Amino acid sequence: MRRQSNRLGEGGIIDRSKPVTFTFDGAPYQGYQGDTLASALLANGVTLVGRSFKYHRPRGVLSAGSEEPNALVELRSENYREANTKATMVELFDGLSASSQNRWPSLRLDFMSINSLLSPIFVAGFYYKTFMWPAALWEKLYEPAIRRAAGLGRAAQGEDPDHYEKATAHCDVLVVGGGAAGLNAALNAARSGARVILADENAQLGGRALDDGLPIDGAPPVQWIDSVREQLEREPNVVVMRRTTVFGVYDTGTYGALERVSDHLAQAKHGFPRQRLWRIIAKRTILATGATERPIVFGGNDRPGVMLASAFRTYLNRYGVAPGRRIVVFTNNDSGALTAAEAALAGLEVVAIVDSRRGLSAEISKAASTAGTRMISGGVVIDTVGKAKLSGVVIRTGEGEDVRLSCDCLVMSGGWNPNLQLTTHLGGKPTWNDAIAAFVPGTHPPGMSVAGAAGGSFGLKDALDEGAKAGSEAVASLGWKVAGPASPRADNQPYGIRPLWLVEASKSKALVDFQNDVTAADIALAAREGFQSVEHLKRYTTLGMATDQGRTSNVNALAIMAKATDRSIPETGMTVARPPYSPVAIGALAGHHRGKSFKAVRRPPSYAWAKANGGVFVETGLWLRPAYFPKSDERDWFETVCREVKTVRSAVGVCDVSTLGKVDVQGKDAGEFLDKIYMNGLKTLPIGKARYGGMLREDGIFMDDGTIARLGEHHYFVTTTTANAVKAFQHMEFCAQWLWPSLDVQLISATEQWAQYAVAGPKSRDLLRKIIDPEFDISDEAFPYLQVGKITVCGGIKGRLFRLSFSGERAYEIAVPARYGDALMRALMDAGQEFGVCPYGAEALAVMRIEKGHISGPELNGNTTPRDVGLGDMIAKKKDFIGRVLGERPGIIDPDRPSLIGFRPVDKNMRMRSGAHIVPLSAPATAANDQGYLTSVAYSPTVGDWIALGLLKRGPERIGEKVRAVDPVRNEEYVVEVVNPCFVDPEGEKLRG
Amino acid sequence: MANTQWVAASAFVEWRDIPGSSVSVTRRDDLTMANLGVFEGQSDKVLEVIRSAYGIDLPRTPKIVTARGTSFLWYGPNQWLAVAAREQNRDLELELEPLFSGVASIVDQTDARAVVEISGHRARDVLAKGVPIDLHPSAFKTGDVAITHASHIGIVICQMDDNPTYQISMFRSFADSFAEWLFHSCEEFSN
Amino acid sequence: MRIQCPCCGERSLDEFTYYGDASVTRPNAFAPTAMSDYHAYVYQRDNRDGDHRELWYHAAGCHACLVVTRNVRSHIISDVRIAREVARERDAAALPGSTS
Repeated sequence: MRRQSNRLGEGGIIDRSKPVTFTFDGAPYQGYQGDTLASALLANGVTLVGRSFKYHRPRGVLSAGSEEPNALVELRSENYREANTKATMVELFDGLSASSQNRWPSLRLDFMSINSLLSPIFVAGFYYKTFMWPAALWEKLYEPAIRRAAGLGRAAQGEDPDHYEKATAHCDVLVVGGGAAGLNAALNAARSGARVILADENAQLGGRALDDGLPIDGAPPVQWIDSVREQLEREPNVVVMRRTTVFGVYDTGTYGALERVSDHLAQAKHGFPRQRLWRIIAKRTILATGATERPIVFGGNDRPGVMLASAFRTYLNRYGVAPGRRIVVFTNNDSGALTAAEAALAGLEVVAIVDSRRGLSAEISKAASTAGTRMISGGVVIDTVGKAKLSGVVIRTGEGEDVRLSCDCLVMSGGWNPNLQLTTHLGGKPTWNDAIAAFVPGTHPPGMSVAGAAGGSFGLKDALDEGAKAGSEAVASLGWKVAGPASPRADNQPYGIRPLWLVEASKSKALVDFQNDVTAADIALAAREGFQSVEHLKRYTTLGMATDQGRTSNVNALAIMAKATDRSIPETGMTVARPPYSPVAIGALAGHHRGKSFKAVRRPPSYAWAKANGGVFVETGLWLRPAYFPKSDERDWFETVCREVKTVRSAVGVCDVSTLGKVDVQGKDAGEFLDKIYMNGLKTLPIGKARYGGMLREDGIFMDDGTIARLGEHHYFVTTTTANAVKAFQHMEFCAQWLWPSLDVQLISATEQWAQYAVAGPKSRDLLRKIIDPEFDISDEAFPYLQVGKITVCGGIKGRLFRLSFSGERAYEIAVPARYGDALMRALMDAGQEFGVCPYGAEALAVMRIEKGHISGPELNGNTTPRDVGLGDMIAKKKDFIGRVLGERPGIIDPDRPSLIGFRPVDKNMRMRSGAHIVPLSAPATAANDQGYLTSVAYSPTVGDWIALGLLKRGPERIGEKVRAVDPVRNEEYVVEVVNPCFVDPEGEKLRG
Repeated sequence: MANTQWVAASAFVEWRDIPGSSVSVTRRDDLTMANLGVFEGQSDKVLEVIRSAYGIDLPRTPKIVTARGTSFLWYGPNQWLAVAAREQNRDLELELEPLFSGVASIVDQTDARAVVEISGHRARDVLAKGVPIDLHPSAFKTGDVAITHASHIGIVICQMDDNPTYQISMFRSFADSFAEWLFHSCEEFSN
Repeated sequence: MRIQCPCCGERSLDEFTYYGDASVTRPNAFAPTAMSDYHAYVYQRDNRDGDHRELWYHAAGCHACLVVTRNVRSHIISDVRIAREVARERDAAALPGSTS
């Protein structure tokens, strides 16, 4: 293991007593607790950390934060592997394994760097221009080749083994960012007693105050930061969320945040998620997100060893790491001098300060002389020297002379961009501030205020003061008593920026967007070719479209485009940021809801019994229903379903129909109400009877059907289909509340109260006689078809009996309280043994309803009317009901509409399949000749043949006609005969017993 | 006719009690419930009946009130849910029906809803992982009720005491899905 | 987006279901102009900027239908009322002899 060659002897807030071992590209290294992967790599002298996206140029660490475009690595291995992780944000842990991306076979020897030599070809718009023709080749040839050559990390191939969570938090004030402004805002707000959440994306609070090391209250800033952290953590109403990025702003004070709970650990602790997605509801928000330093656009500015000045100071002050030993500073503002002074203080050699401004202030000159360094005023760096590591820079002095200086680190500062992204998520437009040469927040989202560098106030004192003010004002506006803003002592630093957007004297590649390899020349090309609007520039060059969302590149690009097109920057425009501020893993967005927890599952009352008795389940909406109950000697589901159907038709079967929606309707106007929402009359239904009902949409289309039972003078009990239960209930509530608000009607969902089983077959009454308490008469005289009544079972358990039939057999539905559903099923099976009872599932149910020509989901498909499905005669003539008027439109009542009819194959061995289209016998199979289609197909063990229901143009008039069923999807075609859709017992004799 | 006593099944098939000081979870299979829905123009009468039978006023806001072993919780405009322990075979539908003939609908909900109780000083942290409403003591107190959802499942939540203990009910068929989420959410705090 | 339910307090959008335009009234099905009235009622909508009156059903809450006045540009909600109460006023105003 190598020594940490670039670790300074002292300084930083890492824990030097806790060494941490990690590997990068397989080689072992050591860092300290408190390091990031980037700081540890730099401490070990590793400057080459990746290859660029398109040209495979060698890249080093550019920044020290979440804006990093270069140092993207793969972390962990196998299914834990995570691509495109910013090394600057990765906290070092023991055993961490990281590897570089987008290189082959190795980082140092990357064959794909040939792309860089070919770069005159790979200019902006290259793909669009070159691979346009023939289009067929794009998918097969061009795209895979390009994907191999240009790309980022590899995603894990298997399922993510980590667990993720979603959670909600509420607060009075959300403070985004835990730097000087944010800490002081949180502190001032928290003093009032208000509920405060402080979220910061880093592990340590302090932000740039910690990085810059400028004194607060006359002491190193870490003292003030620690004391504020302690005060906040003591407050019961304050939640400090570290490692948490607020990534999105949504309406009405809703914020999205990602907490990296376990990213800094080798493995998440038991019961803890890897990451947690927070929805934060805040009454007020203070944006204290700071600012991001801009690179300067000059030739070779992406060579490893070129770094942002702010990052350089972070590595120096926070981590005790010297990114280089011989430093050149390149700046257009006063922060360059600050950097130089700090480097000198740390014992590094500052070769030169290249300041693009002429006529420097006394302060700057003083700083330069303190550092004992050469001051090049009015100069620029025009190129860098070295291969995969910087060895020198070429400078053009203010006098126009080119000078070559040797160095191993070039730090640059092109000025600062406020991190205002969150102010734009709801459509706010930033405004240009000439004094600081940057965009600042324009309109803020409701309830949000901005403090410190995020608003363009870059000085430490300003940040603290604005934070204090924002914190107090936020809680005061919510009615909390506050003492008035309080701040510690600190100074502002001079800034004095004079923009330098592009070093035009540079000949070699000057990168603007480091992550997507967009150069100044690409922008010039876009300008020449007319892609001058920001949005066009972005799409043509891919600028700002990488995972960093252009945080280091957008403003530079805009300024270069402005210059190229002779416009001002505000005239040129600004792209608006969208959520997320930084990438969010899909796993975090899914949270707990994946795999078998993807959605809630509803289990019917007989679930446990069915599972124990071999039931095979099918999902119907959220419900898990038994589809069929195979016996051990049955070869396949087909045999099982046929047996279940035969048992029902010859003896008796039991099916759990509890999933049907059930609504208890009571009130003086209950009948009146039902008359309005069903197409047929229900007010006239006698007490103790049930009737089929059809519910339409206002446009006349069939919406749902079911049975309506009248239990009392003002008491009805309605069932809906399983699939539409929720929708139908909500529809009824809507009608009661909004359409007819004065009707006296109470609607209660009773779906879940009852375990309701269909007991069907010739022996059904005999079986029920053994279950229902003897005082209840269920003879056909006392309990004919469509009779309903209250009963008791098992010596007094309350229940209900409905004589209804979906199968066409003598059948009943018996209901008991759901907690007795399991017991009822067992009792039915025990008592039914002598009759040869069997349980049957959704498949047999479906076969029998097709045999009877009863409609279900495939026919009630949102396109059909009552007339289409043969129920036109049910439509009431005199009353008003939903769908009455528009259901009479010419197109809805057109007799040419496809209508319900039955089909049988002419060749008895032919299997029909639903979805096949119907065309006349001799007409070609074209859309123009399409006359309908098969909706439901089943093998009928009763008929001994395949049968189908379908919708056919003028179907009922065409019984006996032969037509062709055409199935282009399965490439089948066969002749079918149009028949009566009721295949079994059309007279209904079995039904009535 | 079978003479053996039928056994009532719990809505929670895959259940395990979570004991513990930071958070504990139990199921309540011992409750009887009935929905009370006021008929048009009968509000005053309903309030009067409750007052004379139980000596309390029905809450007009999302709250729960308890008297004589029976709780009434606000359940939406003009609706309340009556809840009581099912001791001595109490059946609230049968108890309430005669009191409210013609003034309110009484619908048995005993089996329609599955009920759990979550208790302990980390209960709020557990619930934050699925319940979207604010349960902070300044926003939600003992006696407060909310109809909302947890982990995509509709719930009614009431705070029963300052421990805090939350009683949560959901439609019966969702019980195991709810419990699966709840157990997972508790894991961080159970040791 | 969050909606202030008059019964339950402020709740997030995922508790609500949109139920359409609150500014239209179901017409008389027996009027001679019923067909065109219903066509307008079901299909014809203005797509204006600014405030809309909308029906939102508190599906995962108290089941109340709400009339929500929402600015479709800013999503700022300026008024929320219980739909049944609004509907009762609407029906009262439509009665013969009412002054509106």
